[in-house]
Amino acid sequence: MVLLSPLKDEKGWFMDTGFNFAQLALFLSDRWGEIINLTVQHISVVAISLVIALVVGVAIGVAVWNKPISRATALAAAGIAITIPSLALLALLSPLLGLGWGPTIVALVFYSLLPIIRNTVVGLREVPAGVLESARGMGMSRARVMLTTQLPIAWPVILTGVRVAAQLTIGIAAIAAYVAGPGLGQYIFTGLSSIGSRNAINYALVGTVLVIVLALLVDGAFVFITRFTTSRGLRG
Amino acid sequence: MAEITNTGFLTAISEQSAGVSIELDNVTKVYPGQSAPAVENFSMSIEPGEFVVFVGPSGCGKTTTMKMINRIIEPTSGSIRIDGKDVLSLDPNALRRHIGYVIQQIGLFPHRTIAENIGTVPRMLGWSKSKVAERVDELLRTVQLDPADFAKRYPKQLSGGQQQRAGVARALAANPPVMLMDEPFGATDPITREKLQAEFLRLQAELGKTIIFVTHDFDEAIRLGDRIAVMSERSKIEQFDTPANILAAPANDYVASFIGQGAAIKRLTLIPVTAARLLPVAEGSPGIPADGSLRDALDLIVLTGSRAINVVDADGRPMGSLDHATISAVLGTPSKRGGRG
Amino acid sequence: MSTATADPVDWSTGEVTRFRDRSAMVARWAAAPAFVAVALIATFAFVSALQLDSIEQRTLNPDYITARIREHIVLTIVASALVAVLAIPAGILVHRVQSRIFRGIVLTIGNIGQATPAIGVVILLAIVWQTGFATAVVALVAYSFLPVLRNTMIGLEQVSPEAKEAARGMGMTPGQVLRHIELPLATPTILAGLRTSLVFAVGVATVATFINAGGLGDMIVNGLKLQRFPVLLVGAVLVAAIAILIDWLAGIVEDLVRPKGL
Repeated sequence: MVLLSPLKDEKGWFMDTGFNFAQLALFLSDRWGEIINLTVQHISVVAISLVIALVVGVAIGVAVWNKPISRATALAAAGIAITIPSLALLALLSPLLGLGWGPTIVALVFYSLLPIIRNTVVGLREVPAGVLESARGMGMSRARVMLTTQLPIAWPVILTGVRVAAQLTIGIAAIAAYVAGPGLGQYIFTGLSSIGSRNAINYALVGTVLVIVLALLVDGAFVFITRFTTSRGLRG
Repeated sequence: MAEITNTGFLTAISEQSAGVSIELDNVTKVYPGQSAPAVENFSMSIEPGEFVVFVGPSGCGKTTTMKMINRIIEPTSGSIRIDGKDVLSLDPNALRRHIGYVIQQIGLFPHRTIAENIGTVPRMLGWSKSKVAERVDELLRTVQLDPADFAKRYPKQLSGGQQQRAGVARALAANPPVMLMDEPFGATDPITREKLQAEFLRLQAELGKTIIFVTHDFDEAIRLGDRIAVMSERSKIEQFDTPANILAAPANDYVASFIGQGAAIKRLTLIPVTAARLLPVAEGSPGIPADGSLRDALDLIVLTGSRAINVVDADGRPMGSLDHATISAVLGTPSKRGGRG
Repeated sequence: MSTATADPVDWSTGEVTRFRDRSAMVARWAAAPAFVAVALIATFAFVSALQLDSIEQRTLNPDYITARIREHIVLTIVASALVAVLAIPAGILVHRVQSRIFRGIVLTIGNIGQATPAIGVVILLAIVWQTGFATAVVALVAYSFLPVLRNTMIGLEQVSPEAKEAARGMGMTPGQVLRHIELPLATPTILAGLRTSLVFAVGVATVATFINAGGLGDMIVNGLKLQRFPVLLVGAVLVAAIAILIDWLAGIVEDLVRPKGL
């Protein structure tokens, strides 16, 4: 029916992909249950990882934000960690944690830590000194000041870190499918392993496009999350 | 052909570093998408070497008017002439190299040293390296920044007042006959500000540039201007006169409200003691130098509790005396001798 | 998306996190090479103590490893150089276009590009075109183009309007303002974008093994497939070491090239 591109006639590049919209429609109608399942898995693994990373990252941030040496060490370590290619990390984790959800969640938490720790530190350091002083002056304990004053004021900045982490991990989760991780990456790799077959392009395309859509939707969702979890006095 | 003429003209005005005339004729600026003009039919004639201050509330169009002179903002209609030549016929970039320009935020280039900042225009004009370096040193000394200390520093290593001096030095670099200054001292603290104003007045006494200076601070306008244009909405000129005349006879309620409280005291600042009709010398009273202002005289009367004070000449000889009544009498008759002369 | 760096630009909001901690930087400069050295020595010690079987011997020898490292680095450098040459001028051009709508469109495409998983780009390109080195380079360039373009635009837009007005006010032509004021002041942001893309490239070069483009990903994938942990370990440690060292080098270049006074 409709072919992907006029390039087909001139160069023959798209000959063997066999892509057409009728095929894609058939593909989607055959597998929509599976597709929804993979999408839910993808969101779940990212959400679980982000919650864990939020707890761990904020805890580390709170522990180090006002201690120059620990702060430098934590940020340097997280900065090194995030440069490690994800396939390498996933491969290293698999002998220890097996395949599937385990190594995927550990890897996603690992990559989320830098943005979350960094933004927690930045957010806490940006709390005006006068606010801290007056809170202390009212007789609040340090822990209480942290919980009732510093963290709420730093929250929008911390949440921005989580948002960056979400974008990062939605993409990395796609690669985790190589170690049998859950989610849409499975379709992308199925596309790879079935090169030459009629549905290769459909698998890879559906997997990739849904990851993009998911990333954009989640990014949009963060606008609302930020709005509804930030004190009205801090909103622009 | 036009290019050659223009370059010739610009070279000619740049040789007259001591100030040239500026005329604005029915200048109007309408921003696209806005029905009301920001500046409407603005006309003004400025003498060579004159220090003119535009004063008015924020958003009245005074800055827009000034920025049309170096064509940072292009006028919608009307004509602007510098030394008789229409600026709209000149290449805007070449024009701007011959007009000093200082803005409130200073806009020093953060990645260049103070010396490099000041040398920017001379380098663009093709001066030799040694001439640029000489000029930079000279200017740093002029604005009272020690070249040995400051030339190699970066802007962020300077205080606000020092940055502002560097900004003035940069604007003066190519010795332009015209200076446009947009609230240049607005962002500094009051003490620094007063110091910068005093230094700038001394500088101007030597240089004699034609200066257009925008501010919303009326006291600054009185302190600096030869003439002040009090402006309202759309850059309408409510009054354009010497500080003394505006204080003595505000043209309307708008100007009067802009002057605010204490007009009489502000006027006294501008009038020398010699303008008063002196009474005979009062023996045993404190003395005030003849170049003091009536404001200084009043201060002395209040501080010492004397009924009268003597005006003394440069050699310390009493010339006559002043009391409350003689000072009040000066304010009663608008003085033609007031102002900075 | 296979890797990311500690880039200072927060993509989702376009804000620059102005967090530069001196002691953190010093710690990082020393920490990265030290960490890499320890990891490499430990891996070497571990592997040399092992009795390698014939499959492992085929890959765990200097010739094979050097060839994979070379492939990996060539792919990374070629792709990053192409990105620098294409994306920075494109960013300048887009910045010069006065139309807000056009810039908005470019930034929106940039956002979508940011959300695209690298593995998807690589595999789709392999399916519709061919497998191999050229595909990997094209995929990498396509993938890194938008972030670098975007950082160039953001860097230019962040230049203080006062500095630009002062420059115009003293009679600089638009070209002079660009060369003398805007580009030098945008350098840190542009370099941060390039650094991100460089580290990115190391990661994407790892998944290039899936489309037969070689590199250290071969060792990781073979190690996994054949259940040979030492092979996997050496591949993963080496690729991590390359990523960390490239980021480290790029960071030092960034510090050296950043205009003084900023």
